[in-house]
Amino acid sequence: MKLSIVKAYVLKELSEIVRSRLIVMVYLMPTMVLVLFGYGIRMEVTGARTLIIDYDQSHYSRLLIEKFTHSKYFTVQKELRLESEALDAIHRAQSDVVVIIPESFEKRLLHGQKIQIGVFVDAAFPMRGSTIESYVKGVVLNAASAIQERRLDRDAHTIAINQRTLFNQAMRDEDAIVPGLIGLVLLIAPAILAALLIVKEKEKGTIFNFYASALSKAEFIAAKLIPVFFLHSINIFILFLWATYWFDVPFRGSFWLYWVASELYLVISLSIGMLISIVTRTQIVAVVLTVIVTIIPGFLYSGILMPISSMVGFSRYEAHIFPVMYYNHILYDVFLVGEGLASEKTQFYLFILAFYGLFLMGLGSLILKKELR
Amino acid sequence: MRVFWTVVARELVRFIRSWQLVLVVLYAFTMEVYIAGSGIELKPRNVAIGYVDESGGGLSQKLLHYFHEPEFLPPVAFNSQTALSQAVFDKEIVLGLIFDEDFEQDFRKNKHATLNVLLDATAASQAYTTLSYLSNIVLNFSDTAFSVELVTHKLFNENANNATFMALTELLSITTMLSVILTAVVFVKEKEDGTWDIMLLMPVNAKSIILAKSFSQVIIVMIGIVISVGFVVFGAFDTPIHGSFFAFLVLAFLYAFTGAGIGLFVAAIAKDVMQVAQLSVVIMLPLIFLSGAWTPIYAMHPWLQTLSLLSPLRYFIEGTESIFFRGTPVLELYPYFLGVFGVGSILYLIGFRKIGHLF
Repeated sequence: MKLSIVKAYVLKELSEIVRSRLIVMVYLMPTMVLVLFGYGIRMEVTGARTLIIDYDQSHYSRLLIEKFTHSKYFTVQKELRLESEALDAIHRAQSDVVVIIPESFEKRLLHGQKIQIGVFVDAAFPMRGSTIESYVKGVVLNAASAIQERRLDRDAHTIAINQRTLFNQAMRDEDAIVPGLIGLVLLIAPAILAALLIVKEKEKGTIFNFYASALSKAEFIAAKLIPVFFLHSINIFILFLWATYWFDVPFRGSFWLYWVASELYLVISLSIGMLISIVTRTQIVAVVLTVIVTIIPGFLYSGILMPISSMVGFSRYEAHIFPVMYYNHILYDVFLVGEGLASEKTQFYLFILAFYGLFLMGLGSLILKKELR
Repeated sequence: MRVFWTVVARELVRFIRSWQLVLVVLYAFTMEVYIAGSGIELKPRNVAIGYVDESGGGLSQKLLHYFHEPEFLPPVAFNSQTALSQAVFDKEIVLGLIFDEDFEQDFRKNKHATLNVLLDATAASQAYTTLSYLSNIVLNFSDTAFSVELVTHKLFNENANNATFMALTELLSITTMLSVILTAVVFVKEKEDGTWDIMLLMPVNAKSIILAKSFSQVIIVMIGIVISVGFVVFGAFDTPIHGSFFAFLVLAFLYAFTGAGIGLFVAAIAKDVMQVAQLSVVIMLPLIFLSGAWTPIYAMHPWLQTLSLLSPLRYFIEGTESIFFRGTPVLELYPYFLGVFGVGSILYLIGFRKIGHLF
C-alpha cells in the first residue's frame, strides 16, 4: 500500500461526495428512516373499530359491551341493530370487527347453557385480523367468567399468570422496533452509497484511469470505501442519539461494544455495495439490485417481525447467511438486555461479524478486474 | 404521433438490450414477491417454549399439551430456572414457563395457582399474541364447565392467509420502486450524457418526448405487474380474486403513471444516477410507510394520518385490497381511482413541467 496515493484518491472521492448534494442525503436518509419507521410501525393493535349488535338488550349484555368500551384495544363505534348494515361497514373498510350478542344471552348465561357469540373480523390484513380475534376472545372470556363466578358465588379453579416480561417490560413498540431499525438502516444506506462508486466510473469510462494507473486493486477499493466509511461512521452516533433521546429506548449495555460492532457492520454493508458495484455494468442495475438485496432480507431477518428461533427450514439457514441477524443480536443486547461480552454468544457473533467483513473485502478485491474484459 | 411511438420503441429496445437490467426487474417481480409471500409470517408460528417443572407432572403436563403446532414448537424441558433464563437471554427460547413446587397443590386445594412466565418481548408483536394465546389457554383450562363459545368468521381472507397479503404488498412496493427509479434514470442518463438539453432544443415537441419516455417505462412496469400477478399471486399462491381484474389493471396503470411522475420530479432535481438512488429512496420510503402497507392507517399518529392522504400508494393499496379480498363492486371503487388519479396527476404535472425547462 502506497499511503500517499491512497490519500490523494481518498481526498478526490471525498470532495466529489461533498460537492454534490449527496452529503445531505448521507445524513438525512438514515435519520428519516428511523423516525418514520419508529413512529410508523405499530405491532400492537389498539382502537380496533368495533361494531356491537346487541340482540339481547339485557343487563349482562350491557356489562359485556361495557368491557369493550373500556378496553383500549377497541373503539366501539355504535351499537347497530342490523347485521347486514354492520357487514356492509366491514366491506367498506369502515369497521374491523363486528360482535353479535345473541337474543337469549342473559338467560342462557344464568342457566349455564351454551352460548354462541358471533364475531366477524376483517382479515384482509391477516396479522391484524388474528390479533383482534384473540383480543375479542380475551375480553369475552374474561367478562363471562367474572359474571359466572359472581353468580355461582363459588371459587372456580383458576390459574393466575404471573408474567415477567423480560427486556421490554412495558412492551413498548418503540423498544422492540427501533434497535432493529438501526440494523436495517446501517445496512441499506451505506450499501446504496457504495454500490455506485465503481460502476459509475465504468459507465462514464473513467475506470480506464484506474486500469492505466499504478494503483493496486486493494488500494483502489480502500480509496473508494474509506471516505464513505468515515462519513457513515458519524451516523452510528446520530442513530444512537435518536434512539435513546427521541424514542427513549433504554441503553443497558456497553457503548464500546455498540460502537465496535456497528463499525464492523458498516464494513460489511459497504462491502456488499462494493461487490454489487463490481459485478454490475450499469448504474441502474446496481441501484435496483442493491435495494432488492438489502431491504427485503434486512427486514425479514432482522428479528423485528419474527424471532429467528421461530423460523424453520430454508428461511432459518438464510437468516444465518445474512449478517443482519448477528448484528441485531448484539444491538438488542446492548439496548435491552445488557449482558455484553459476558455472554459467549455475543462474543461469537462479534467474531462472525469481523470475519464476515474481512471475507467480503477479500472477495471484492479478488473479483475486481484491472483490465479490459 | 410517429415521434411518440419511435421514442417509446427506442426506450423499450434499450431496456431489453441490457440483459442485467431485464434479469433484475424480472427477479424483482417474481422471486422477490414470492419470497416475501412465503417467508414473512407475522402471526406467532413455531414459538420456542421452554419450561421448568418442579410440580411433579400431572396438571403441568396437561397444560403443556395445549401448546401445539403450528403456533408453538414442542416445549423443551429445563432442569433449573437459571438454565431456562439463560436460554431466554440467548434468544433460544421466547416463552419460558415455570411450574413451582406448589403449583399442583395450590390448584387442587386452594383453587388458586400461580404460573410464572418469562417472556422475551424484544419481538413485541409476537409477544403480544403469544401472551393472549397463553391467557386464553389458561382461561380455558381454569374452568372446564365454561359455557361461552366464540364463533369467529374471518371475512375476505378466510384462513387469514398471510402469503397472499404479503405478496400483494410486496408487489405494490416493487411497482412503486421500479416505476420511480426506472423513469428517473431514463431521464437522468440523458442529463449525464448531456443529450437532454439537445433533445429539448430540437424542433420536435418536447412534451411528446417526455410523455413517450415515461410511457415506455410504464409499459415495462405494467408487463412486470401482469407477469407477477399471473405467475406468483395467482399461480404460486392461488389467490382468489373477488372483484374485477380489469379494474385492478386500470388502477395499476394509473398508479404506474403516478410513479413515473415522481420519477420525473426526481430526475428534474438530480444531476446524476447517484443522486437518483439517494433521492428516490428518501421519497419512496415515506410513500410506502404512509400507505398503510405495514401499519393500519388509523393506528398511526394523527399527523401521520393526515400526511398519508398525500401518498398515492395508500389509495392503490386500499383499492387493491378491496378488489382482491373484499370484492367491492367497480362503481364503489371510485374513491381509490380518484385518489390515485388526483395525487398522481398533480405529481406528474409538477415533474413534467420541471423536466421540460431548459434551465
